Amino acid sequence: MAPTEENADCDPVRGRAPLILGGHDFPSITRAVCDPLERPTPLGWWAFFLPSLGLLGLLGLATGWLFWEGIGIWGLNNPVGWAFDITNFVFWVGIGHAGTLISAILFLLRQRWRTSINRSAEAMTIFAVMCALIFPGIHVGRIWVAYWMLPLPNQMSMWPNFRSPLLWDVFAVSIYGTVSVMFWYVGLVPDLATVRDRARSLLRRRIFGALALGWRGSNRHWQHYERAYLILAGLATPLVLSVHSIVSMDFAVSQLPGWHTTIFPPYFVAGAIFSGFAMVVTLMVITRQAFGMQNLITIRHFENMAKIMIVTGLMVGYAYAMEFFIAWYSGNPYEGFALLNRAFGPYSWAYWIMVSCNVLLPQILWWRKARTNLAILFVMSLVVNVGMWFERFVIIVTSLHRDYLPSSWDYYVPTIWEFLALLGSFGLFFTMFCLFVRFLPIVATAEVKGVLPQADPHHGEERVVLDVSKAPAREATT
Amino acid sequence: MTAPRVIETARLHVPAGSGLARLPLVACVVGLLGTAASVALGHGTRQLYFSWLVAFLFCLTLALGALFFVLVHFATKAGWGVAVRRLAENVAGAIPVLALLFVPVLLGLHELYHWSHPEAVAADPLLQAKAPFLNTGFFGIRAVLYFVLWGGLGTLYLRASRRQDDSGDERITRGLTAIAGPALIAFALSVSLAAIDWIMSLDPHWYSTVFGVYVFSGCVVSFISLLVVLSAAIARAGGMRGVVTVEHFHDLGKLMFAFTVFWAYIAFAQFFLIWYANIPEETVWYLRRLDSGWLPVSILLAVGHFVVPFFFLMPRTIKRRTPLLVGGAVWMLAIHLIDLYWLVMPTLHEDGPHVGLLDLTTLLGVLGLFFATVGWLVTRQPLVPLRDPRLPESLSFENF
Amino acid sequence: MPPLLPPSLPDGPTYGVLARFAGPRELLHACERVRDAGFTRWDAHSPFPVHGLDRAMGLGTSPLPWIVLALGLAGAAGAMLLQWWVHVRAYPLVISGKPLFSWPAFVPVTFEVGVLFGALGAVFGMFGLNRLPMHHHPLFQSATFERVSDDGFFVSIESWDPKFDAQTTTRMLRDLGAVDVELLASS
Repeated sequence: MAPTEENADCDPVRGRAPLILGGHDFPSITRAVCDPLERPTPLGWWAFFLPSLGLLGLLGLATGWLFWEGIGIWGLNNPVGWAFDITNFVFWVGIGHAGTLISAILFLLRQRWRTSINRSAEAMTIFAVMCALIFPGIHVGRIWVAYWMLPLPNQMSMWPNFRSPLLWDVFAVSIYGTVSVMFWYVGLVPDLATVRDRARSLLRRRIFGALALGWRGSNRHWQHYERAYLILAGLATPLVLSVHSIVSMDFAVSQLPGWHTTIFPPYFVAGAIFSGFAMVVTLMVITRQAFGMQNLITIRHFENMAKIMIVTGLMVGYAYAMEFFIAWYSGNPYEGFALLNRAFGPYSWAYWIMVSCNVLLPQILWWRKARTNLAILFVMSLVVNVGMWFERFVIIVTSLHRDYLPSSWDYYVPTIWEFLALLGSFGLFFTMFCLFVRFLPIVATAEVKGVLPQADPHHGEERVVLDVSKAPAREATT
Repeated sequence: MTAPRVIETARLHVPAGSGLARLPLVACVVGLLGTAASVALGHGTRQLYFSWLVAFLFCLTLALGALFFVLVHFATKAGWGVAVRRLAENVAGAIPVLALLFVPVLLGLHELYHWSHPEAVAADPLLQAKAPFLNTGFFGIRAVLYFVLWGGLGTLYLRASRRQDDSGDERITRGLTAIAGPALIAFALSVSLAAIDWIMSLDPHWYSTVFGVYVFSGCVVSFISLLVVLSAAIARAGGMRGVVTVEHFHDLGKLMFAFTVFWAYIAFAQFFLIWYANIPEETVWYLRRLDSGWLPVSILLAVGHFVVPFFFLMPRTIKRRTPLLVGGAVWMLAIHLIDLYWLVMPTLHEDGPHVGLLDLTTLLGVLGLFFATVGWLVTRQPLVPLRDPRLPESLSFENF
Repeated sequence: MPPLLPPSLPDGPTYGVLARFAGPRELLHACERVRDAGFTRWDAHSPFPVHGLDRAMGLGTSPLPWIVLALGLAGAAGAMLLQWWVHVRAYPLVISGKPLFSWPAFVPVTFEVGVLFGALGAVFGMFGLNRLPMHHHPLFQSATFERVSDDGFFVSIESWDPKFDAQTTTRMLRDLGAVDVELLASS
């Protein structure tokens, strides 16, 4: 199927642009998605997988040395008790949220274009949450008693502190991971059946057959399945909102200027979606090219993702503006100082990277030419993720390093081990993603088939006819 | 294969001389009487201006919700709601009358806002710090700018949409879509600042960064509820039968549900963060609403604005039974009024709510005049954007 | 009201008939006829859910929402109870001046656990109602049935159905436009 870019400029006012190009029918979609799984591993895959594995090794090194020596190998000091660790945590959790948004919220909004990217986006969510959970885990110092965070009866009669946002995080992020895995798996079952039915080797048939649970496309099953999918989408939506709100509460429930603002929950959620979509764009530009899926993941999909990025980027910008304004309006000298220190203090370099990457540069996406140019989008997606990482760094470190008492002020410098942990987390992420694209269908085949025009039994029938013939006598108009 | 539904667009008007066509006049009379009674009853009192402010905010939030609905519709190229969009355009198109209804607020500036008292500012360093923003002149200029923006957008969209009824020109849709994005940015900033100006500054020491979002969420919930009521009323009177279907009501019900949850999320986030940090300059606002006769109202809001609508609007069957949905919508409108009352009144009555005749007369006054305008707009043009390119899509879509 | 759980497989040598149709439209129309003919032990199969097929088959609504609601509320109540017990009964500690039963602070965990239990209800409820995993089924004998996950649209009628008769049912399906019809043995 020759790749066509014909829907890049297709923006009809009447009717809708086609979602899937290249004249696909049901069997050709199956082939497009499943053939790569059945071919021998291409060299290109190894070119991504091996370096990722290398980075993963770095993560192992950094965390192993951390467990051995202790948190002192990091650059944390008093007052900056949190820096790279929690920045990375919030960064990865945020990225994960886009996958759930694509799966759940876009489903509820009846956005059929989501079907080409939701499988990969959900996988991205799961891997991002895996990366995220590492950091609060390793930063506790005594990782061997990390199980104390769970409400298990014990011989000390100790219980976790449910009033603490740190514990809400444990529940929120692990529940988010669990629900995301379940949602992803439920969506996978019909596609696993597809791979099972095409399997030529017994081992492949057994493995995918076991995972597909005996799915046979029965409509009695589809009925409950669709209901479950809708309910999971309805549950995952408030979950996305609540999880990142709870993460924001790690900061917002404190009394620290720069941390304690009521806008943090929706602001963090908007930022999460912003960075998450950027990561989806990054992954999809590469994946689409590597697997020749230009007709399934089209320019129009990227344009829609770019639009969501502008919207959420503007929401983040609104939050910056509101924080600044209210910091002044409050008349509270500590609040005002905290915001000014961000922009003009010792970490101003980080602040201006953040503003450029999150607010200034993404404005290029107002132009259609930019939204439909994959090279620009790819670069922008990296820029946005750099900006969003710096946003969390700025919030955490600048608010901590200079708070109420000037004699406590200090400057934080990260050590090599913190950089290695950050880099290594990308290794984990990309390793998992490489494994995913190698062994599982990366496009939700059944869902994409369902949005083809020929999937609608009433395709081509006219349902409503507007009769404009008898125009009424016109009253005086403006 | 069922035969397609035929809809004669000629019938998509409010019939002249019908009951519906007479409503604007009735509303106008009620509005004028209400206003006169309010002035007579409350002349010179602070209560008059506070009651008027609540009533004004009620209609303003409805109109702003309408404007938001129209803008988002165009920005997202939505298809489902074209059948109800004209009603939203009409409500947004009535914003200019709200500019007139704002005048009493300006007249009562001194009674309403503590920061407008020069002697108070002179004695209070915090008010002095805010004086560059909270002063009468700049306040007035901002108000003018808000109404120019909102009124301009509301009128623009209504007129352009109306022109498309005659010409069917697709470029109108393209144009309105193109400006919707920047319009939404201006909308977000202006509504946030207006919320700070008109509501938050009633208590000038207090501040909350999420306050603009809070008021915005109330705008959307109340407007979607109003849209349900208006669409159902007009459909019942025969105006839009066959055009506005149960699918549209289902979607509006979903939006009501979603924004009820959103309102609760923002309301709780604001309360919770202030409660947790327990900083006196922030908690004072909530203490006034919890440690006094206002506590029952606060509980009523939590239960009535979240718990009850959450469980009521969740089932699919309720959203698809229009009479039930309309009942829910009326409830949401009432509870939104209580929300605004709870935001504004504790500044005047610290010990508890004192609902009086003035609250009723000012409400009738403002509502009457506002809905007279909306009604007049509804009657003078087609009920549906007849030649909108996405109207057929709106008429034939089916929900999950 | 249709039975809550699908009944188990028919006994006897024949499982039933399997008929393949050209596409979603043909499948939908065929299902309407099969429903109207009064069959009860039958099913339609497709690679994706066909819009309107539930109605065409005369299926009622799924009870899943009730299962989810019940479990979700139970989860939330349980989480609130746990937190109350931990902080008010088991080990009461005044932390940062908050009351022992600081219910606002208990909301996040309560909400998350409620969502978790609801999601578990949705997933396991759905698999339970569908009697999955069921790795072996007579339909898998058919070579053409492999297309069900690709582009095949099928109707299967089980021999347990009171109206089932190998000859007449096969003929009915052919008359409804089936591309191929086969008789399947019980596995």
